[in-house]
Amino acid sequence: MATTADGFTAHHDADHAHAHHDADHKPGFFARWFMSTNHKDIGTLYLIFAIIAGIIGGAVSGLMRWELAEPGIQVLGQIIQFMGGDGTTIEQQGHMWNVLITAHGLIMVFFMVMPAMIGGFGNWFVPLMIGAPDMAFPRMNNISFWLTVAGFVSLMASAFVPGGPAGNGAGTGWTVYAPLSTKGSVGPAVDFAIFSLHLAGAGSILGATNFITTIFNMRAPGMTLHKMPLFVWSVLVTAFLLLLALPVLAAAITMLLTDRNFGTTFFNADGGGDPVLYQHLFWFFGHPEVYIMILPGFGMISQIVATFSRKPVFGYLGMAYAMVAIGVVGFVVWAHHMYTVGLSVNTKMYFTAATMVIAVPTGVKIFSWIATMWGGSIEFKSPMVWALGMIFLFTVGGVTGVVLANGGIDDNMHDTYYVVAHFHYVLSMGAVFSLFAGWYYWFPKMFGRWHSEFLAHVHFWLFFIGVNVIFFPMHFLGLQGMARRYPDYTPAFEQWNHIASWGYVIMAVSMLVFFVNTFYALFAGKKAPGNYWGEGATTLEWSLSSPPPFHQFETLPVIEEHHSHYDHIGEKPAKA
Amino acid sequence: MNSGAFARTKLHFLALLLAAFAFVSLPQAGFAQAADPAVAEVTDSPNTDLSAASEVNANAAENRSVAEGEVVAGDEAGGGFQHFGPEMIKGQPEAGAYGFQPQYSDNGRFGLWMHDAILMPIITIISFFVLGLLMWVVFRYNKRANQVPSKTSHNTLIEVIWTVLPVLILVGIAVPSITLLARQYESPPENAITIKANGYQWYWGYEYVDNGGFEVISNMLDEAEALDAGEPHQLAVDNRMVVPVGVPIRLQTFGSDVIHSFGIPSLWFKLDAVPGRINELMLTIDEPGIYYGQCMELCGALHGFMPIAIEARTLEDYNAWVQTQPGGMTVEQVRAQAAQEAAAAAAPAAAEDAAEQDGPAAEEENAEVAASEGQTA
Amino acid sequence: MAALTLDARNRRTMGWAFLGALAMLALGFASVPLYRLFCQVTGFGGTTQVATMSEAQLAEQQAASAGGRTFSIRFDANTARDMPWEFAPVQRTDTVAVGQRDMATYIARNDSSVPITGTATFNVEPEAAGIHFKKIQCFCFTEQVLQPGQEVRMPVLYFVDPAILDDPDLDGVEQITLSYTFHRKPGDTVAADAAAAGKGEQPS
Repeated sequence: MATTADGFTAHHDADHAHAHHDADHKPGFFARWFMSTNHKDIGTLYLIFAIIAGIIGGAVSGLMRWELAEPGIQVLGQIIQFMGGDGTTIEQQGHMWNVLITAHGLIMVFFMVMPAMIGGFGNWFVPLMIGAPDMAFPRMNNISFWLTVAGFVSLMASAFVPGGPAGNGAGTGWTVYAPLSTKGSVGPAVDFAIFSLHLAGAGSILGATNFITTIFNMRAPGMTLHKMPLFVWSVLVTAFLLLLALPVLAAAITMLLTDRNFGTTFFNADGGGDPVLYQHLFWFFGHPEVYIMILPGFGMISQIVATFSRKPVFGYLGMAYAMVAIGVVGFVVWAHHMYTVGLSVNTKMYFTAATMVIAVPTGVKIFSWIATMWGGSIEFKSPMVWALGMIFLFTVGGVTGVVLANGGIDDNMHDTYYVVAHFHYVLSMGAVFSLFAGWYYWFPKMFGRWHSEFLAHVHFWLFFIGVNVIFFPMHFLGLQGMARRYPDYTPAFEQWNHIASWGYVIMAVSMLVFFVNTFYALFAGKKAPGNYWGEGATTLEWSLSSPPPFHQFETLPVIEEHHSHYDHIGEKPAKA
Repeated sequence: MNSGAFARTKLHFLALLLAAFAFVSLPQAGFAQAADPAVAEVTDSPNTDLSAASEVNANAAENRSVAEGEVVAGDEAGGGFQHFGPEMIKGQPEAGAYGFQPQYSDNGRFGLWMHDAILMPIITIISFFVLGLLMWVVFRYNKRANQVPSKTSHNTLIEVIWTVLPVLILVGIAVPSITLLARQYESPPENAITIKANGYQWYWGYEYVDNGGFEVISNMLDEAEALDAGEPHQLAVDNRMVVPVGVPIRLQTFGSDVIHSFGIPSLWFKLDAVPGRINELMLTIDEPGIYYGQCMELCGALHGFMPIAIEARTLEDYNAWVQTQPGGMTVEQVRAQAAQEAAAAAAPAAAEDAAEQDGPAAEEENAEVAASEGQTA
Repeated sequence: MAALTLDARNRRTMGWAFLGALAMLALGFASVPLYRLFCQVTGFGGTTQVATMSEAQLAEQQAASAGGRTFSIRFDANTARDMPWEFAPVQRTDTVAVGQRDMATYIARNDSSVPITGTATFNVEPEAAGIHFKKIQCFCFTEQVLQPGQEVRMPVLYFVDPAILDDPDLDGVEQITLSYTFHRKPGDTVAADAAAAGKGEQPS
């Protein structure tokens, strides 16, 4: 196979890849973008896809914040009419609301964060960072991407087919709990939504296999596991989580499909099934899933903090194994998502204790990032500013997670806006801030042109203020008892909801800045050199041009001691 | 473009500090919230040791239509029983509030104390600590203040500290957390009054199994009706769940179609109503009043429109209310009726008792039923 | 590993990865019977236990030496929304001595105008009592067909295992609720409209 290192002839020095020769020979447009086998092109495709999905998912949340800006139902009926329905009854409006929350959750989780983190940055930079010419299975890589796209199409299609007596679309929540999703939702919409998860899940499993194989077998000579950049470590742990968690989801939703269509009763009490079992299975997947969404972000933050502090990552091994620990413990805490389902006291005590354990490796990561900066010579370029924002906001989301971990406390918070605030702090701030940090960190590397650092900072500050104004008041709403997934609320909740909706406006403006910046960079940005961040940027992708040649590392780079992880600035530390 | 020229970083992070300070300090105001002193009325626990052979489901369907008829009529037929007006509303959200609703149960106060006195200070301190460290590195270790980065990448002592210290903090949290859980799972006494909350798409039914088995169907009032009643829209209902105050309630939940969840923020109570099984927790309310709650598990199109309103009354009032309900009886009346029926049906009962006492006879009876209905355990 | 080409190593790694994924997929499906088994063995979720008559007699002998503590048993009956039956216990509560066999009777009546097949699910509360709640005979989980208007009495023969006295999780428990829910058998669609008309319409 010509894509593996063995197949290349070593004649080219990748460090000077500006010349026109084989390394930059690109196929024609269709072959390049629709039958792509190049990890960088596939990464780009994933990023474009994630941006499109993010626009749709973000627009959906905009509709939700618009509706929630004041009590009463003002917007949902218009949405239904816009989509060709009637929209006059409260049932139709309520169903439309459920469709929106379901779509927002599924899109953001499966079609925005995951494709961007793993598919986008993972594909782009894992091979570059380990000194590999490409992924292990380039064609499988392509299949992964198009399966994800097909999944997204299936999810979009679900919005236009009946999802119950009250209208089109799947209104089950992203958790698709039985029996609401089985006998509670007649019509093909939920089938389409479930099938969409099958497709996206299959794509992710193939992708995970590809990453595991690539990272295990295709590291450049001398790059031991313990010398891999932390971003590669994070993708490796994430790939294992995907590989072990997604099949369980696949099994669970397959049984949902048969319950819906073929008369089985796996989760249907009518035939002796147990709806609670579905929740166990879903969250056995669902909890690792939240780490799947955040771990690559951890990896990116580690790279960025080290780069801009011009220091090696503090406690490299601790950082790597903290992620492993988070991944392992993440598999045994799932029932904290279902504290009120009627668990026995012993079960609840166990899951309370196990859940709190996760705070320890997470704390190690936070403190290690700070220790990495400690004594550093920090430059506040846009990726670093996003990373600092991520560290603080993830901490805020993390500590509310410790509150929610307590089964007894959660009894009054479960399914309230406190939970919504919590998981948006760790995801909408933790994961998304990491994504933007990674975007500004690598954008010139990927596309060869500079974004505007000024606009990147403006984007950061508007986004930072916007999301905090959206989500911080949600803590108060949740404590006061406002339930999740409600299209309408009692007037007492109006004040904070109104503020949150204005926060959305600020956030939306910041996204305009982001798009302006991106288009500016693509069409008018200054050309970027190979290593534009300077001496702090030591991983292998910085040894290549920006953008890297179409085929890189035709001669495998040899990782010598001075390339090791704890030596980002060129000298070997006293103690290993 | 000179990327560094725009980042006036110190100013940025001063703003970050202020913004974060403002955000994190807001919940502190929640501590100011005075916990209402609970005036628990200690009432004699009613004896609910029932042995009545209740009628098959106590004409449930009929009761529903009767309950429905009461939407407007109220309980005028009930001979003097008056429902609480809006002045008795205690458990409801308050505009602009930061913290939990005031709590009206023992466990609620414990949970509120644990949150406000333990968890909030800890997470606030941790957040500020991390923020402070970030600020410090931003000011002290920026490029201008510190030209030459150190090469430190390990310090075993500090790594051990930041692993062990969180463990100790978490252990400290776990102690009251486990206590709270244990208290929430205390088993109700035998004579607790049993009330079932049945979740339907999309309303609640409250089944008073110890008081004759009638079921009260509770639908949300629309906005005009709620305003007329002086109650908060989205929370007000036509028929409230009337419960006795100061005595333990064995609250059981059941989902009739899909999963619902019975949640009352001011009573620190939330329990899912799952199809095919019941869940049970004990609830004791301290003082009379109206406590609002909502369905807390996505259950379909009108999930947001099936609120819960609990009206907690003295046991005396509760018994009076029960008798206004179709087929409703006080616990004493139920017991008296059972005794009467037992006397009337002395012969069959005796036979059954005999069957229970006598192994072979019981087996025989069971074999007979098994044969006719085809069952095994 | 030097002996293998990169391609071969990659394929081998991929094979292991797919094997892992397949194993988790299988585990996902196997969880249904495994969960049921787990509940049956441990009483998780308030699952009652099955006992034979000889075990019951043994329990009775053990109980005789245990001092004769009694439990109140509450009998609870539910029907699913689409189930047009009336279903209730004859007695709401009963008091039994630990180890003592007791029989409870439920009555079910088909209020609809069509024959209905019903199946029952069950659990006990508090959940920790499930492991100690032993049923010798029960109507649960065999199908019951009731003709229109037909009424049947359905017995449950059970005892509370003396081991409950040694279980610290059940200290302070005075009453155990045994709950049954009757469901209309899925696929039993004969005249579903009639059933819907019989029950479950939202008032108002």
